[in-house]
Amino acid sequence: MAVVRLDNIGKSYGAGADVLHDVSLTLEPGDLCVVTGPSGAGKTTLLNLITLATPPSFGRLTLFDTDALAADRVARAALRRRIGIVFQDLRLLDHLSARDNIALPLRIVGVSESEISDHVGELAVWLDIAHRIEARPQALSTSERQRVAVARAIISRPDLLVADEPTDRVDGETALTLVRAFERLNSLGTTVLIASHDVALARRFACRHLHLEAGELTSPDPGATQ
Amino acid sequence: MSGQPSGAASLALPVGGDPTRPLLFWLFALIGYLAALCGLALVLLSGEMREWNRSLDNSLTLQIPAETSAARIETVLALLRQTAGIRGVRLLEPAETARLLEPWLGPAATLDTLPVPRLIDLQIDPGTGIDFADLRQKLSSIVPGAQLDDHRQWLGDFRGAAIRLASFMAVGIAAIALLAVVLTVSLTRTSLALHGETIELLQLIGAEDADVARLFQVDALRQGLLGGATGAAAALVTLIAVGRAVPLRVMTGGSGLADWRLWVVAIIAALAAGLVAMAAARITALRQLSLMP
Repeated sequence: MAVVRLDNIGKSYGAGADVLHDVSLTLEPGDLCVVTGPSGAGKTTLLNLITLATPPSFGRLTLFDTDALAADRVARAALRRRIGIVFQDLRLLDHLSARDNIALPLRIVGVSESEISDHVGELAVWLDIAHRIEARPQALSTSERQRVAVARAIISRPDLLVADEPTDRVDGETALTLVRAFERLNSLGTTVLIASHDVALARRFACRHLHLEAGELTSPDPGATQ
Repeated sequence: MSGQPSGAASLALPVGGDPTRPLLFWLFALIGYLAALCGLALVLLSGEMREWNRSLDNSLTLQIPAETSAARIETVLALLRQTAGIRGVRLLEPAETARLLEPWLGPAATLDTLPVPRLIDLQIDPGTGIDFADLRQKLSSIVPGAQLDDHRQWLGDFRGAAIRLASFMAVGIAAIALLAVVLTVSLTRTSLALHGETIELLQLIGAEDADVARLFQVDALRQGLLGGATGAAAALVTLIAVGRAVPLRVMTGGSGLADWRLWVVAIIAALAAGLVAMAAARITALRQLSLMP
């Protein structure tokens, strides 16, 4: 079973040029993959397609062996619940505490409050944000907000973790903490896809490296069907 | 842990700063007020109609000219008692007639000096048809100038007017409900736009449309119920105030606020406001969400 399968995917906005052009990619369960590329290369668009935030202009997108483009809205929501996302702009909800932000994915699936409390507490310690767990996002430092966003993405133990520039705003020590968190999650069976313009970060991971430039994967994934 | 959505309600929107909330409350307070007033008026009107029907539907009044002799009056009474369909005949005493005329002539009026007709109250059997043309002819032959007043004629006219008024009020309530739906749709769309980023996030982490719509429908239900209850309470207060200022029986409903029907109308108005708000918000939210990726 492929976790993600993109077949000749393209994306353009309006009448503009293609942001992604004929991209094919396959991620198997347990893969850890870093996509590098300069700003504007299409990394975020690629991740938006995979997280079903936006539909492709053409091509075929399969998630967990389900044709994601043919799925109805309920089925798409079910696919999304299997994906954890670290957004480039974090998207923390300002009216909720760090604890409630982290707990959102669990609340959506109806996990009991006691279980939520246990999971959030454990993750907060692991990511070193336990002392700030009741603070609102605007009261957190950039590094703390980043860690809250990562905690929210991984708290439900997703089958696929998608992270867009996850170490962009953090110091070296925090970046290392997050890299270890992703590797740890990957070792537990989660497929991880990270997009970053930081080639140095990519080298920290012992994993597949792909490069996206001007909307094209210049290091084509050997597992993809072209 | 990627299980089924629970419809868990704790995905609270940042509604504290949402300006559509107080608008929704006041909108449904106004709508609840108008709808409850119309409903209360309908209840009072229907109660009054029943009372009038009960008291007048089976009665007639015969007026005998003042100068009519006692012998002729006795003849008339005998004729009436023998007429099929008349089950009660009672000649009103002059003192009773005086009491009936008191509101118009005043307590000091001396009826002895006025040509006040004698009145005969007739109770008729509604199941038996009476030939009124024949009866009037016979009465005129005994007492020229005798007038048989058939209340049912003008009571029918009054009924027609009351039914038209009730229909107008029912249309008014329907129009108010329609207005409530339109405004709720508009406010819900505004609220969806205000919380667009939050909604998009909830969807991206797996919330179903129904989960997100529930956030709006629950809030709309709360605002609709509170607003509707406030409006209905204000309508009851208005009824009391108007009842005191205009002490007509129809305004106070006879038993006033002890009349349980008035409370039922007020409760129904509040519940209907909540349900209309909830249904309109849910349908609007689901439609808008279906347009998102």
